[in-house]
Amino acid sequence: MEFPDVLFPSYFGCGPPVEEGGPAPAAGWGEQGQVLEADPGRCQTETMFVPRRGGTGESWEPTEAAAVPCVPPNASCWIPSLVPQDILYHGFLHRKLRGGRSGAALDFAKQLGHFFVDHPEDAFGSLGRLLHRNFHLGNSKLRRQARDTTIRMTALMEEIDRLEARHGCPRQHLSPRLRWFSHLCRDWLFEVPLGLLADCLHEELLLQWAGLLFDDSLTGGALAWLPPEEVGAQTGRLVYPGGQAMNHLYFQDVVLEELPLAQGSPVQFELNGLIRQVAAARVDGEDFVGVRSDYHCGVWRVPARMGVAPTPLQVIHTSVPASCLTVSPHLPGELAVCTQSGSVYLWSVESGLQRLRHDPQTMFFRDHSPWRWSDFTAHPRVLSCADRTGLQCLDARAPERCHFDLFKVGEEANCQQGERVVLPMYLGRAHPSQHLVTTQFSMYVLDERLPLVPMLKWAHMMKAPPLFAHLTPGGPRRSHKVLLGSSHTQELLLLQYQGGSRSACQLAGPPQKLHPITSCLQHLPAQLPHQHHLLQQRLGAPAAGLAAAVKEEGLRESLMVFQLSEAGDIFCQRLTHETVQAPAPARTSGDETTAAPGSSPLFEEEEQTFYLSNLEVIVNEEEDAGTPAPLEEPELPPQPCASPRPCAAVSSPAAALRYRRWMKGLSKMRRESPRRSWPLTLSQKRLFTRKELEVPAAPNPLHGQARQQLRQAMGEGGGIPSWEPPQPPPPVLPQLAEPSGGADPLSSRLTAAWCGDWGQWWEERSGFNRAQRQRALRERRRRQKRARGRRSLSASFTSSLTYQSELSELSDSGPPLPSPGPLIPRDSPQPRQRSPPPPASPEEAALLSSQSLRCRGIPKERRKTLRDYLAVWAEGPIELPDPPGSQASQLCIPSSQSQLSSASQPRRKRPRMGF
Amino acid sequence: MDTFLEEEEAAGKNSAAHTRSSTLLPGLHLPFLPPHLCQPASSQEHKLNFKKSKEVCLRYIQDAMLQKQWKRAAEFLSFYVESLEKDFSREYVNPSEIIWRVGTEILCHCSNGSMREFNSFIEQMKTFGVKRYLKVCLEHAFHLLCNGLIDDAYQNLSLAESWRYGEQTAIQDKEMKLIQAYRGLLDYYSWSKQKNILLEHGLDGFENLSVEQEMHSCFRKAAVNLKEIIKIPGVWDLFVKCYVDLLEFYGDYNEAHQVLSEYAYNSKFPANPNAHVYLYQFLKRHGESKKSLISVLKILHDLVPSHELMIDFNTMLQKSRKRKRCRLGLEVIFAVLDYAGWKENVKAWSCLARQVKQIAIAEKHLDWIKQEWNSRKDWWPAFHFTHYLAKRNWKESESLSYEKAVVAGILLGKDCKYFKYVSHQGCKAQVKRFRILKKFVNKHNPVYLRISDPSDSSLKP
Repeated sequence: MEFPDVLFPSYFGCGPPVEEGGPAPAAGWGEQGQVLEADPGRCQTETMFVPRRGGTGESWEPTEAAAVPCVPPNASCWIPSLVPQDILYHGFLHRKLRGGRSGAALDFAKQLGHFFVDHPEDAFGSLGRLLHRNFHLGNSKLRRQARDTTIRMTALMEEIDRLEARHGCPRQHLSPRLRWFSHLCRDWLFEVPLGLLADCLHEELLLQWAGLLFDDSLTGGALAWLPPEEVGAQTGRLVYPGGQAMNHLYFQDVVLEELPLAQGSPVQFELNGLIRQVAAARVDGEDFVGVRSDYHCGVWRVPARMGVAPTPLQVIHTSVPASCLTVSPHLPGELAVCTQSGSVYLWSVESGLQRLRHDPQTMFFRDHSPWRWSDFTAHPRVLSCADRTGLQCLDARAPERCHFDLFKVGEEANCQQGERVVLPMYLGRAHPSQHLVTTQFSMYVLDERLPLVPMLKWAHMMKAPPLFAHLTPGGPRRSHKVLLGSSHTQELLLLQYQGGSRSACQLAGPPQKLHPITSCLQHLPAQLPHQHHLLQQRLGAPAAGLAAAVKEEGLRESLMVFQLSEAGDIFCQRLTHETVQAPAPARTSGDETTAAPGSSPLFEEEEQTFYLSNLEVIVNEEEDAGTPAPLEEPELPPQPCASPRPCAAVSSPAAALRYRRWMKGLSKMRRESPRRSWPLTLSQKRLFTRKELEVPAAPNPLHGQARQQLRQAMGEGGGIPSWEPPQPPPPVLPQLAEPSGGADPLSSRLTAAWCGDWGQWWEERSGFNRAQRQRALRERRRRQKRARGRRSLSASFTSSLTYQSELSELSDSGPPLPSPGPLIPRDSPQPRQRSPPPPASPEEAALLSSQSLRCRGIPKERRKTLRDYLAVWAEGPIELPDPPGSQASQLCIPSSQSQLSSASQPRRKRPRMGF
Repeated sequence: MDTFLEEEEAAGKNSAAHTRSSTLLPGLHLPFLPPHLCQPASSQEHKLNFKKSKEVCLRYIQDAMLQKQWKRAAEFLSFYVESLEKDFSREYVNPSEIIWRVGTEILCHCSNGSMREFNSFIEQMKTFGVKRYLKVCLEHAFHLLCNGLIDDAYQNLSLAESWRYGEQTAIQDKEMKLIQAYRGLLDYYSWSKQKNILLEHGLDGFENLSVEQEMHSCFRKAAVNLKEIIKIPGVWDLFVKCYVDLLEFYGDYNEAHQVLSEYAYNSKFPANPNAHVYLYQFLKRHGESKKSLISVLKILHDLVPSHELMIDFNTMLQKSRKRKRCRLGLEVIFAVLDYAGWKENVKAWSCLARQVKQIAIAEKHLDWIKQEWNSRKDWWPAFHFTHYLAKRNWKESESLSYEKAVVAGILLGKDCKYFKYVSHQGCKAQVKRFRILKKFVNKHNPVYLRISDPSDSSLKP
């Protein structure tokens, strides 16, 4: 345990950070930090210096053009997570969120509205029942004596509907009636007091939004690699969550060949919650795997010998979500657990839990985040505890007395304002007393022997805070490799550093970006557009874990990097490094003479402006060079060689095979669970009745025309002058509709019963007065002839539902006319005409549409019951005749509905009229 | 100079903008707006917006650099230079800084980047902004130093030192001090070079007089600057060492002692173990009394119990006749072996084995062992003395397993797994000392019983 003789110089201050924080896009480049004499005492005559940053590192070259899947796709229906559009005020993202510092406007009203619609019972239950009699929902006029105690709601409903339709319209204004109603009811109508409800909702929205911006529950990552027992062996284990709810824990044997290959089927454990974190450490030749979900933590023991099954050891239950679980690298069966209530526990499988600290407040200054973290240190009885403000080390034997500060967000570590700890990690395998701390801006390497002063600091420039980290220790005179990974952006960064024991810590070489999972999209076989979109969504799922394995073959070393996504897919990539000779820690002195200048545009430009020493001249120079309008194409390079993306290398045959297999697995999985394939759809069977879903038998000529007009207007880019139908309407040849499944006996009977003339219905049904029926029939035929003329026009201006009801009025007529003549409208079109159902034949009217039910004065609540009841029957044993035009009419209805109607086609036949 | 003023203005507005940050932000504010919240912008939009295209260009540059495509990055950077033209940015890092950083990095990594090009680039960068001038100078000097161009670096530092622009900010003040310190350091190096020349050639002859004079002037320049910086709290190992060396050469021991104790014991400075090491080495060099050496090491032990000097400390204490010091020595060596880094250190284990053996033979201060062991008996067996470790230690180092077995045998008795395995293997391999060890442990088994017996009142500390 040597300590460096000489450390890099640095200032040490106390107190809050001075430096102003902010996005610093290139802050990690171009700085050497400080310099130090290299190897003092080696040669006194020539003093050599080494930089803290900027030395040469090992070169690790990726072998594949993109990440390659390494286990079959997870059999999950990954539900895309919440997107900002769901909760933000409409249009906000485009305008305001650019800066990143401005607050967000949550669409509070929309969410409240959703609550009222989705949970009416909870929102208005009791008062709704109380006021049931005083609200009239029908169309009919109120009777005089009822008018004193009852108000008609229909108009109000219409008003609300209209409001909905004009959503987003700038000239929208509330009607006085609505305003009056809301003022009257605001205070007493709601089951939960509106203020309280709003508070709760607002709180939840804020939580969701904070989660969208930064979700720390995944900190640490849910992927672990258990290396083989012997150094040369090739088979290790991968531990990861999977399954539909990511609640299955898999232990998969993986062979490290050219590409890692899963061997056999994994050992599987089903757990009681979504797995947030998987942590592993090897003690005395055995791996201990800790698994954290929100309220449970468990520990498994995995013997290093292959083929021996892992054994679960213990599970603990927490009442507050756990935020951290780390496994001790020193003592078998010891773990550190933190909960969001601010408690830190040392968990020993043998002796149980020991609480080391309980403090809901943060350590160094106030920060509202309940996130806590704990890890082990060089001393097995000393644990580090972290919150967003810093790290402290506690002695488990006397946690109150013995502790010291290891890292503070403040001037000590030269932090920026607003900087917060994101992930601490013990780097014991690289050096027993080193720790890694990442913040959203920088990464720090700390030595617990010199607390508070970072040995190394580097601005990592990642777009999202690094939530995952992995260390691959290098041997003597080799650099340690640190991988940093972020969640939403799937970024992966490989850093190298060296030193810590004899020499001071140095960053070795520039950082390197590795392939994210999404990078493989372009190498996958071509897909249909919608499948491509689904695939894109799946591959773009946030990362959930990071692991790496090392494989040595003679002089060639490989580093396999695994990345887990929230959808449960694991991708890997291989980096290779030729260990010809250990790289010199010091930078070789640059030779001044050998290089030929001007080999790249940058250099050329410098040649041009070589002796110019201030800015104005440079600008002039550029203007002379002939870039008159820099605004026009500032980022489009003229040369093809500087294309925004370099041509991605073609994936190797082995990788291509992997991609194909993975795609096959994915599509097979989708086929196997067609019901669960996403996007999730709701069955509409219970929401609408067959009647309501039925479409007009023939495409309405006016619809067609309107569509054409619209298309024309869109083509021209102009507006539509008016929706007036053309005069005179062009002659159309509508196909006469076959009676669209008229009222079935049950529904007509029920309707009759509701209307009170059930007796008449029975008489008609039972055929006692056949003569009467024949008379009625004749009468209907006459009417039908009349109606045929009227139909086309009135239908086009009433809602399709009433149109339906009118159609069905004709439905029981004789066989359709083979070629009906042109129809000449008799009525002039009236925009909001509603044709009331003819009272003469109630049994044949469409009963199920809400409008018709409303017209019958059936109260809303009962309407639903009735409809539900009828809907059960409608899809059941009753056979309904279908309109022949249903196929022709498909072009104007959504596909889900067309499926329904086509599904019902085989069930037609059986003429209803018995004669 | 217009850009300078603009920049200052921007800086002022910048701070105002920061104070107006809104309330809906989460506690952790992110370097950028998370990209999953950004709408993918079409290429059409990019064309319209200069700022956006600047950002896109920078992203391409970063992308290329992170994939080590330096040439491609350089090509993009040549376009990015246009962003200087309308640099009204209110951002924390403005384009000229980005160009400096990115350009430096690219030039450092392009294999054909010559020093001449690098210098010319940096010279241009120095004119880009007052706020950063000193920083750019300092980094330039670092680059030159790392490439072995010490004279150029010295010139650069001297130039930067003479630079004045209005009132300095706190950061500029710090940078200026660093520049002076590094110049002092370089003065020190030339001083030591001349000193070596003089020492080699002896102090005879006429021409050596000028060398000597130059050497003294170097000393004065170095001492002034180095003395300045080590007054400020910080980690100044390099500067302190050089300064003390200077002082020692000229025989100013008191000053040197004072500097070192100030560096080690001033509470405003970080708890740097090296400061204590330097003081210890200084005292040792000058033959200070054992007492003062022990007191220095005692403080280091309290700060960093796992420091490598603790082995020396333990040997020093073991040799001592005083009971208190022997007691402290046991404490020190036990504490050292608590740390994972010392787990397999033969030297540390042999120190502990020797002392424990001594105590066991004398049966005099068993309570010391008992007290140390009490706080460790619940985890040392699992940490040091498992069957697995016995096997591994035996395989890797026989002497380590011997020393550990001595300790295990005394502390845990002859039935301890570690002791049993190692002594068995040792006897099997016909190594003499293991047979002696077995006998010794069998003989002194009562010691183990007394240590582990909680009710033994005779061993109350």
